[in-house]
Amino acid sequence: MNHSVPINRSSKLVALDLPLDDTRGIWAMWMVVATEATLFICFFGAYFYLENNKDRWAYNHPPAEHWGWGMLAAILLSALTIWLGDRAVMRRSYGHARALLALTLLLGVGYLIMQGFDFAGHWATLTPYSNSYGSIFYVIESFDALHAIVGVLILAYVLALPHYAPARRAPYRPYRVAAIYWYFVATIWIAIFCLLYIIPNLRVYGF
Amino acid sequence: MSTTAVAQRLKEIWETPDSIWGKFATVDHKEIGIRYLITAFVLMCIGGVEALCLRVQLARPDMLIMPPEMYDQLFSMHGITMIFFYAYPILAGFSNYLIPLMIGSRDMAYPRLNAFTYWSFLFSAILMYIAPLMGQGPHAGWFSYAPYTLYRYSPGHGMDFYAMALIFFMISLTAGGINFITTILKMRAPGMSINKMPLMCYSTLTISFAGLFAAPALIACCVFLELDRRWGTHFFSVAGGGNPVLWQQLFWFFGHPWVYIIFLPATAMVSMIIPVFSRRPIVGYSYVAVSTMLTGVVGFSVWLHHMFTVGMSDMTMSFFSAGSMMISLFTIVQIVCWVVTMWKGRLVTTTAMHYAMATIAVLIVGGLNGVVTGIIPVDWQAHNTYFVVGHIHYVLIGGNMFPVFAGLYYWYPKMTGRMLSEKLGKVSFWVMFLGFNVGFFPMQIVGLLGMPRRIYTYPSGMGWAAMNYIETVGAFVLAGGILLSVINFIVSRKSGRIAGRNPWNADTLEWALDSPPEPYSMVHFPTVATRHPLWDQHDEEDDPDNMRVLDGGRLTYITSWLDAEVVSVAKMPEETLAPMLLALMMFLFFLALAFQLVIWACGGFGATLLVAFYWLWPRKKGEEAL
Ligand code: HEM
Repeated sequence: MNHSVPINRSSKLVALDLPLDDTRGIWAMWMVVATEATLFICFFGAYFYLENNKDRWAYNHPPAEHWGWGMLAAILLSALTIWLGDRAVMRRSYGHARALLALTLLLGVGYLIMQGFDFAGHWATLTPYSNSYGSIFYVIESFDALHAIVGVLILAYVLALPHYAPARRAPYRPYRVAAIYWYFVATIWIAIFCLLYIIPNLRVYGF
Repeated sequence: MSTTAVAQRLKEIWETPDSIWGKFATVDHKEIGIRYLITAFVLMCIGGVEALCLRVQLARPDMLIMPPEMYDQLFSMHGITMIFFYAYPILAGFSNYLIPLMIGSRDMAYPRLNAFTYWSFLFSAILMYIAPLMGQGPHAGWFSYAPYTLYRYSPGHGMDFYAMALIFFMISLTAGGINFITTILKMRAPGMSINKMPLMCYSTLTISFAGLFAAPALIACCVFLELDRRWGTHFFSVAGGGNPVLWQQLFWFFGHPWVYIIFLPATAMVSMIIPVFSRRPIVGYSYVAVSTMLTGVVGFSVWLHHMFTVGMSDMTMSFFSAGSMMISLFTIVQIVCWVVTMWKGRLVTTTAMHYAMATIAVLIVGGLNGVVTGIIPVDWQAHNTYFVVGHIHYVLIGGNMFPVFAGLYYWYPKMTGRMLSEKLGKVSFWVMFLGFNVGFFPMQIVGLLGMPRRIYTYPSGMGWAAMNYIETVGAFVLAGGILLSVINFIVSRKSGRIAGRNPWNADTLEWALDSPPEPYSMVHFPTVATRHPLWDQHDEEDDPDNMRVLDGGRLTYITSWLDAEVVSVAKMPEETLAPMLLALMMFLFFLALAFQLVIWACGGFGATLLVAFYWLWPRKKGEEAL
């Protein structure tokens, strides 16, 4: 008979002998990210599919990039700050972690404000009703904004939590989970910026 | 502590309070699984009644029992109900109830998310049915091709509800998939390494992954549809530079994996049942497991075979035709394993086994004419005819409904503690089997004779009348057979023989538990040494010093995903109303969107977020949420 289960304590205390699980929330968030990323991949697929057989697409009037660069800077910086904050939690310097989280939150809000200006800039020449390019462009932009808004709310929620704990202590790890979601928001903006902004602009210059 | 004292303690810890609050707040996977089964079964009956109305209308030429628009709404609602709201949820019900028991865990990985999954499934089905009750049901078939679905051609709210209810349902599906994946990979009993887990886990794992990557495509195209219909965008309208084929691309990128999502768990149930009633382990366990997973993977690369008539390059068509042929090989591997298992074993012909064997027979017919339609020139002929209606019902009823009945007859004793009447069961089986073949085989013939699908009537003199009459009779016989089983389920609940723990002498862990299982499932966590725990000389529950009890709260083991070695203990949540409230708020959100009530929709979105934060807020000191 096989009793190779590594437990050697009497009944009630067994739980204390093993660490409490703190990985399920992280697994769930990774899977949410996977499925959300697929949603954006479908959007990009639709973008390129609609571009097929069109003589007029983004390339005649590529979207202006300047706010996009600012957003890129803000989102990359915020990904860095929350990564540092996550490491601070692991070191149990909760004060630092909270400060870095607040900084991330500010950068996230900054990102959203710039996105508002970016939106307004495009609106002058292009609307979702103009043509299929406008439609898919604004859907992708809006879903990105929606994810960023939800991300900011999650960050604010984690900031409001009464206390943190590093891995292998508490049952759940909100800080890490929020960070994973925020990395996702950052990655999506990188993808959008490359595909919808930089490439069309490069093509104008004949690349 | 004696075992009874421990059991008593566990019961106090795990029991859901028997109150109205408890009914809405429960997070017990057994309760949720049974609710899934009942809800999906009821939806199947609704879809079945819709189908019978269709058959009555088609029984004779030139009939006008219902106007064409109503016929369109009925076949659309029939298809939508069966494909989305019956076929997957009923399998999710089985998995929900059985997987934790089979792998020796006390619950799913995220019990509250599990409750949310059920409520959002229920509410999305209700949302879908609001439209036909307003007399404006969706009328473009279950796959709703654009541009017919645009506002110009489909005014009214039907298609709006279609889009919103399906997005909502996909959220439920995604949450369920996440839950199954973590449960299967992290919560198996100590020793149940990945090559020892029951085959049902493989199929549930495969379809959960497939769901994660397929659902977004449906969400995307439903978002585009709704925006095009009501908010003036141009995804599908050619005038604005859109492309109606975009709908087909996205829909079938979702749709074909979906076909496997509603098919693989059903075959897995057959793989669980056939060995038990052949009195031997399944032949080719690894082949079945691997072909299940490959079906899920290759299922993502055949979607264009639904679109051979759209027009595409020869190269593309050949690629997707070859993919379709290849995928049938994986099903054949499973079928061969089942047949050889029966051949090498000693058959016990219970009702469940009857249904399982019927699955094989019907699936072979359905699969064969599927291979035929996978051949491009044949598809050009058969496309949009009754041949396809015959084909889908052979695969769907063979690949989903018969296995589901096999599963119901097999696991009903575990769920209720009572045996079903075998005599009535067999009568029901033969009536269903007969009715099914009489009802659906002629469809393939009238299809080849040229009868198109989705027509509300046809003139006499086409040579279709006799066959259509036979089909209608067959459909009613099939429905009668189902009714006999329903009577069996209801009557045996009270008066069936007491089942005991393992009435079938089966091999998997759920049969080591009481029937029905206690709220805590098992007193001692089992340790597993082989694939067939209850058939081998190994006492899983042997634990004289109560070392594997975990009675310090709602606890269960977390094990490593490959070898299932214990790594930690998971703390499980208590009952809460939050999952139901969250699903309700989302329901309001989608309802408002279906009517374009922007303010209400914003309110619904905000309320959804608030409930989510309430759900996640730590209740006790030292406990962080998420
Ligand atoms: C109770 C037995 C059933 C009967 C009598 C029945 C009958 C029918 C009929 C008459 C049609 C319409 C054909 C047309 O006019 O084009 C139809 C369509 C369909 N059925 Fe069934 N059916 C049954 C069960 C099922 C089941 C169990 C499923 C799936 C799990 C299913 C899935 C479908 C689908 C997907 C369609 C196509 C709808 C469309 O054209 O969009 N049916 N069925």
